[in-house]
Amino acid sequence: MKTILRLLSLILGLIIIFLWTVPSQTSGTALEKIKKRGHLLWGSDAEGGAPYVFPDPKDPSRLIGFEVDIAEAIARELGVKAKQSQNAWDSLIPALERGDFDMAMNGIEITPQREAKVIFSIPYYIYTEQLVVRKEETFIKDIYGLKGKKAGTLSGTVAQDILMSIGGVDVKIYSGQVEPYEDLALGRLDAVLLDLPIAAYYAKPNPKLKYAGSPVGEGFYGIAIKKDDKEFKQETDRILAKLLRTGEFKKIYEKWNMWNETQAKLFETIKDSGSYVGLDESKKAPLYTFLPNLLKGAGITILISVVSMALAIILGLVLAILRLYGRPPLNALATAYIEIYRGTPLLIQLYIIYYGLPNIGISLSPLTAAFIGLGMNYAAYEAELYRAGINAVPKGQMEAALSLGMTQSLAVKRIILPQAFRIALPGVTNDFIALFKDSSLVSVIAMVELTKTYSILAATTLRFFELGLIVALLYFAMSYPLSLFARRLEKKLSNKK
Amino acid sequence: MIKVRNLHKYYGGHHLFKGINLEIEKGEVVVFIGPSGSGKSTFLRCINGLEYFQKGEIDVGDIELHSINRLMPDKKGIETIRRIRLKVGMVFQQFNLFPHMTVLENIIEAPQRALGIGRDKAAEDAVTLLKRINLEKKVNSYPEELSGGEQQRVAIARALAMKPEAMLFDEPTSSLDPEMVGEVLSVIKELVDEGMTTLIATHEMDFAKEVADRVVVFDKGDIIETGTPEEIFTNPKTERAKIFLSRILKRSIM
Ligand SMILES: Nc1ncnc2c1ncn2[C@@H]1O[C@H](COP(=O)(O)OP(=O)(O)OP(=O)(O)O)[C@@H](O)[C@H]1O
Ligand SMILES: [Mg+2]
Repeated sequence: MKTILRLLSLILGLIIIFLWTVPSQTSGTALEKIKKRGHLLWGSDAEGGAPYVFPDPKDPSRLIGFEVDIAEAIARELGVKAKQSQNAWDSLIPALERGDFDMAMNGIEITPQREAKVIFSIPYYIYTEQLVVRKEETFIKDIYGLKGKKAGTLSGTVAQDILMSIGGVDVKIYSGQVEPYEDLALGRLDAVLLDLPIAAYYAKPNPKLKYAGSPVGEGFYGIAIKKDDKEFKQETDRILAKLLRTGEFKKIYEKWNMWNETQAKLFETIKDSGSYVGLDESKKAPLYTFLPNLLKGAGITILISVVSMALAIILGLVLAILRLYGRPPLNALATAYIEIYRGTPLLIQLYIIYYGLPNIGISLSPLTAAFIGLGMNYAAYEAELYRAGINAVPKGQMEAALSLGMTQSLAVKRIILPQAFRIALPGVTNDFIALFKDSSLVSVIAMVELTKTYSILAATTLRFFELGLIVALLYFAMSYPLSLFARRLEKKLSNKK
Repeated sequence: MIKVRNLHKYYGGHHLFKGINLEIEKGEVVVFIGPSGSGKSTFLRCINGLEYFQKGEIDVGDIELHSINRLMPDKKGIETIRRIRLKVGMVFQQFNLFPHMTVLENIIEAPQRALGIGRDKAAEDAVTLLKRINLEKKVNSYPEELSGGEQQRVAIARALAMKPEAMLFDEPTSSLDPEMVGEVLSVIKELVDEGMTTLIATHEMDFAKEVADRVVVFDKGDIIETGTPEEIFTNPKTERAKIFLSRILKRSIM
């Protein structure tokens, strides 16, 4: 018991140190900050996949993609190194606003809605939307043939707006770009409308699919920059223009098979071909090449679970004691905390902690936010387990302790809690195992743990099955020893009775 | 040594004690008898503050406990109750040993943590107490490994380890198998012979006759009669006491 408590307080100490070391927002302009830091932080979602930003199938710990090339070129011009910051695509803009990175570049279309929140560089690519159908499809020839049909696209994209505006189309929204094409091939969809680079990478090599009609809806990809970083935007524009003039852009696009006539409207023509990494290659890479990435994800999963659980166990104990023995209003506050945390989704709590708190000046690193988010949520459940345990201790125990002249707090600490812990233990270990799996939710706040690593890799390689089995095995390898340990501990405690 | 004046106790709307008075001398042995639900347990529990009461005073030695008509007494009230508990030990019907501690740990816990006695000294005293009740072999056993009679004797030793000036026993033998009643009663008898101020609520009439200096009869929250065992058992004055005693005696004949 004592050693467990000591361990817990050690972990709590570590949490406090983490909180201490949250990078505080340094003052100065964005440019100064980047130069001082020595690297350009750019936000994107590697799960979004090829050809934008994705893990190199030959070495999955390395990210590649045409945007990686562009980011490196910009960084080079700034005299620093480029560093990718992983973030869910849906929340790139809010993350940029809260200052998680210097710029966001990930096929972000320049739209008036987005321009209300951030500023955009000059365009770096002209995209078009390509309609894709099954090979045997004869009816759908362009987007106007979609009335009454099921069409898939990505959430929050211009393609979605186009589909919505046609009217009468049954629009299915996806959050990954692989799944719509899978569903199309399987007959669950009649067509998919997505940006041409995506179609070129994922649909074109697929023998079951074909393009329908020519691309529609020309638009621009731009680099999103925080509203007040005007100087940085000007510098970025200057660099982009230079890359255009020198032809470096065209080289990059040709390397990624993205060059087309449309781009000529913006770029001069200079020819030089590079290597192009296709889907076929990543399908063939041996499985062990993914292991370092997956193990790193597993490590982060363990770290998050252990620290969050330690926090939950300690905070839960405080809450349970306050709820049962606290004087008003402390007991009411503890009750309110428990009910609110149990009555609202963990996902919302994580969003509020990570994206909401910066609005009132509290900006947590993703790891700290993960610890606190999961820890505070599970604390509510642990508190209820302890409360049930405390209530299950016979009333005579407290009376005997008091009649011996012990104070109430001493009696709680020495007589009630040790017995209550024993009763609560099976529930607590159960919760720990559940938390292990719930930890995958923190990918919404830019933590790349095991599940997120899996979805990034699987989206690139389409090897959902093999990678999925490996990941499931990794989870099991982590949680099974835990249940064994819990069973041993329970046995040991019940012997010593 | 213990003075109860004008004690009023309500359970919700139920007015149980309507102004009880009782004085107990140092070294006196008082046995409380009466029908089930008459208030014997509640009376003992009021004395060491396990039950709050709404009106009246209870003095233990020079400590005065006034009515505590609140679910949460203030700091001073809590401290007064604790000082009384340090003077008055209590033994319960259900033993209430701490199941996660050995016999030795049960006994030394309060002396160590409430009185600040060193572990070695506390353990030495505990072993002396255990020898007196013939349980020194069980120092390292856990309560569930003991018989009911042994558990109750350990509970008595645990209370005595705090060196109380008086002892409260609330039906100490009622949850024991008949063959174990004797061993517990003889421990109490020894204590009484040493001059410990003792209050016992019990249904063991023979034992009451044997040890009591005074017998107090409760009925429906009233003290209906007090007197020597002689007076109460052979010549009760009130009708209610007569009815109760005749019922008890009939039961013990059957
Ligand atoms: N916690 C409680 N809440 C409400 N009423 C109670 C409570 N405890 C006791 N009472 C009531 O107070 C009265 C006296 O109970 P008490 O336990 O003191 O009687 P007793 O003389 O010890 O009986 P027994 O011989 O059965 O132990 C009973 O009517 C009982 O129902
Ligand atoms: Mg009773």
